[in-house]
Amino acid sequence: MMRTRWYKIRNDLLTDKTRTFLIILSIAIGLIAVGTIVSARAVLSTEIQRSYVAISPSNGTIRTAELFENDFVNSVRRIDGVHEADARRLLTVRCQTQPGEWKTINIYVVDDYEKIRLNKIFPNEGAFPPPEREILIERAAMQVLNIAIGDTIKIEMPNGKTRKLTVSGTVHDMSQMPAQIDNTPYGYISFETLKWFGQSYGFNELNIATENPEDANFVQWVNSEVKNHAERSGMTPSLALIAEPGQLPLDDLLNAILLLMGFLGFLSLMMSAVLIINTVTAMLAQQRRQIGILKAIGATTRQLLEMYLVMVCCYGAAALIISIPVSIAASRALSQFLAKMFNFDLMHFSIPLTSILIQVITGLLVPVLASLTPFLNMLKVSAVQAMNAFGNIKSVSSKSWIDRTISGSKLWFARFVLFRPQLLSIRNLFRSKQRLLFTLITLVLGGGIFISVFSTQSSIERTLDDFVKWYNFDVMVNLQRPYRTQEIEHAGMQIQEVKHIEFWKMLPSRMVRSDKSETTTINMIVVRTNTPNAPSPTITEGRWLLPDDENAIIISSTFARDENIHLGDWITLKIDGDDQSFRVVGVSLGIAAPMAYTNFSYISRITDEVNQADAVLISLKNPAALQKETVNQIERHFKDKGFQVYSVITMQDETAEAYNLFGVITSLLLIMAVLLALVGGLGLMGTMGINVLERTREIGVMRAIGASNRNVSNVFIMEGMVIGLISWLFGALLAIPLMFLLNSGIGLALIGAPLNYAYSFQGVLGWLALVLALSALASFIPARNASKLTVREVLSYE
Amino acid sequence: MKPNQAIIHLEKVVKVYQGLAGEVRALKGVDLSVVAGEYVVITGKSGSGKTTLINMISGLDQSTAGKIWVGGAKLEQMNQEETCQWRLSHVGVVFQTFELLPTLTVVQNVMLPMDFADVAPISEHRERAMQLLEKMEIADHADKFPSAVSGGQQQRIAIARALANDPPIILADEPTGSLDSVTTGVMLDIFEGLVEQGKTVVLVTHDNDIASRAPRTLVLSDGEFIDEKSRL
Repeated sequence: MMRTRWYKIRNDLLTDKTRTFLIILSIAIGLIAVGTIVSARAVLSTEIQRSYVAISPSNGTIRTAELFENDFVNSVRRIDGVHEADARRLLTVRCQTQPGEWKTINIYVVDDYEKIRLNKIFPNEGAFPPPEREILIERAAMQVLNIAIGDTIKIEMPNGKTRKLTVSGTVHDMSQMPAQIDNTPYGYISFETLKWFGQSYGFNELNIATENPEDANFVQWVNSEVKNHAERSGMTPSLALIAEPGQLPLDDLLNAILLLMGFLGFLSLMMSAVLIINTVTAMLAQQRRQIGILKAIGATTRQLLEMYLVMVCCYGAAALIISIPVSIAASRALSQFLAKMFNFDLMHFSIPLTSILIQVITGLLVPVLASLTPFLNMLKVSAVQAMNAFGNIKSVSSKSWIDRTISGSKLWFARFVLFRPQLLSIRNLFRSKQRLLFTLITLVLGGGIFISVFSTQSSIERTLDDFVKWYNFDVMVNLQRPYRTQEIEHAGMQIQEVKHIEFWKMLPSRMVRSDKSETTTINMIVVRTNTPNAPSPTITEGRWLLPDDENAIIISSTFARDENIHLGDWITLKIDGDDQSFRVVGVSLGIAAPMAYTNFSYISRITDEVNQADAVLISLKNPAALQKETVNQIERHFKDKGFQVYSVITMQDETAEAYNLFGVITSLLLIMAVLLALVGGLGLMGTMGINVLERTREIGVMRAIGASNRNVSNVFIMEGMVIGLISWLFGALLAIPLMFLLNSGIGLALIGAPLNYAYSFQGVLGWLALVLALSALASFIPARNASKLTVREVLSYE
Repeated sequence: MKPNQAIIHLEKVVKVYQGLAGEVRALKGVDLSVVAGEYVVITGKSGSGKTTLINMISGLDQSTAGKIWVGGAKLEQMNQEETCQWRLSHVGVVFQTFELLPTLTVVQNVMLPMDFADVAPISEHRERAMQLLEKMEIADHADKFPSAVSGGQQQRIAIARALANDPPIILADEPTGSLDSVTTGVMLDIFEGLVEQGKTVVLVTHDNDIASRAPRTLVLSDGEFIDEKSRL
């Protein structure tokens, strides 16, 4: 048989269902936010690794200018330190999915798709392996190419031969960047199909996996040995990529996202805790009179503490019953969204114990701890003071500066501006200063995060704008080999739409470290600095190249970060097999792949390719009118003039690619902003709801003396909106340091430098509208419900 | 024959409140002795200090100065926790506004002090509570909530609750203040009945008609006793 005191607790929980629901909701919302973020973060970091390991990833890739066959691969397998080696053929070709619409596509050719040893490719849908004269497409690229299984695409090989291939299936190739991020689709054919294109058998990409993959120095050494072996075998390694231990293709982006989720998860935990403290304090305040009665009857402190801690734990437990399954579902949805973004499969979805523990601790321990202080304070008050909520002579203090400020003659202006009920709203706000403070803290945190997220989004956009603005041309034609600039210019200026032409030379190179190991391939762009239209990237440190510069170099911020290079350092680059020294005179804004910029005239001299270029930058007279047909026309023109065209890209495509990379971040930021705004808003609703409930008798008194339902509602709505307004102000201020933190974290992770700061006034106004709407709604609904009761009912309300 | 030991003894009891307008001396050195089994009514106008006096005797509030002996305990030397425990078995308090817990049924309200006292087994609480409710002629409403019964019935419940642990002293603060005259009469009969059972009853009221029914009446004005009438 249960003790009577527990019937009181049980009945308190069950009788006023609205209050119980609001309290549980307030606690649950915060727990859901925390649980979702923590779980999704844990799932993302473990599952992506698990999926990646399943493909048997290589940790070194060498591409050669010449083709090789299995003999060479077998010889590589015999090199000390090489655990496994595998080879494939890579062709960068063009494909046409719609008339007049050509796109660059990387096509892989593999001997036996079912016996791939490294960087395995798995069937996704349709045929596998690729049938003869058909092609499989990497599944993430289907959307990029805007095609479906069964469609036909036209492929144009470097030798000019074109063939139509049916897309007979999709595959999952996790060793490549997801196409929706870098806008590069991947296709897979058989050697029989390649032969049909008139191409010979042979590989040009060697993937290796070393022993001791955790030892970065050993991995580099083995890769260098393999590269040297290739050179000794008469081959020219044109590209060398070495992966850091456990590094994924999207490591930078992943790290940025995990950082973001960790940061926001922590903030949502803080918000949740404050929300719980406020809710529990409000709940206890409502119980004050009853605690007085219980003391009057003879309940001891221990008995009361026991009762109310059990009550608080019941709220917490009920909130957990809701929050745990909801956060599991929400984190599954978030994880699946991120899995799709990163093009991996969620093989297992198990909620980490940490996430459950954090929710349990927050849901149970925080309410208990939150209730201790106000509860113990309440116990210090005598029974008669606790019972007499209105008659306590000491309860109203005139000494508070806040109360003095909003009383009496201080508000002389109110008679001209406000109505009495609005004065009442302002004074009501400050009746429970502690509750106001905690409500504000929750809302200010929510608002600060909301605005800072929008500001970070604006910062990303500004950074990307700065990044792409130096591409102040409209079309870029990449040639298969260098041509004399005079010839190129002469041909180019014959095109009617062309306004002017600039030249680059694209010179892939590798940096030689002090220990003689080499980095992955650096995209070196050799630029002219003495022409008026020469573009230059955003410089974050140092300066841009000068016309007189000889062996000066600008490196991208990501490269500088990854290799720990500083302004003024000397670095050695291997160019065409020779070591060349360069001094770092500037650092430019960089995204993803390492890049460097050197002086055209100097490089021309040292490579003996004077006045030759292989990249043509075209500015059009009317860039707004750029159509696909114009691009095709430009390509056709250069081909007709005898130039071997490798690819033609537009700045629109390059900009889209840059934005796509950040697309995941901005999507995640938006989701987080909405989630946390929801926590703040619902928390406010819960608190306002409780505020109204505990003043139900007051509402009765107001109505008894003549206030209409609208008058009553207006008082509470105004209170809610003033809270919203105050929180908005402080939230807008808090957003500034939060934005700096986010910008630095994301920027350093992604581009090696903080993002360009851009405070989002759109976010500020958006939050203002949102918080005012939420505040009004939060107050209106419970106030309207209370005003529906008869005066007699509300006056007898306990 | 009634016992002649003082079960309640107050000596120069002072209570000062700190209010917005400054100090309020609710009790200005009050002396009072009540013998066990006595029925005393304390009367006075609003603000005379009646409720404060009851709060001092019951230990619901603490005095600023003076000595208070109730049921053999020196209340001025006890802290809140000690007075709570002491009150469980020594004093039953009846309030003007009944102060029943709204989420407990009638019988549960009466059982609650037994639960806190933890003297009798839990299985006996309901039976004992029902006996008290039967004495108050309200047992039929045992499983209803307080809001479902009338004011007079609620006050009977409050009296039953006050008797839950069989305390020797019953203190009532304006117990008929919220009731009509018929119900008032019934309430007073109940209190007189308790006195006949050997309880010591101290009742405060502003109603002179009620005061006229008591064998001993004290008049409180501005925190001091100004008159005493005895009908023995």
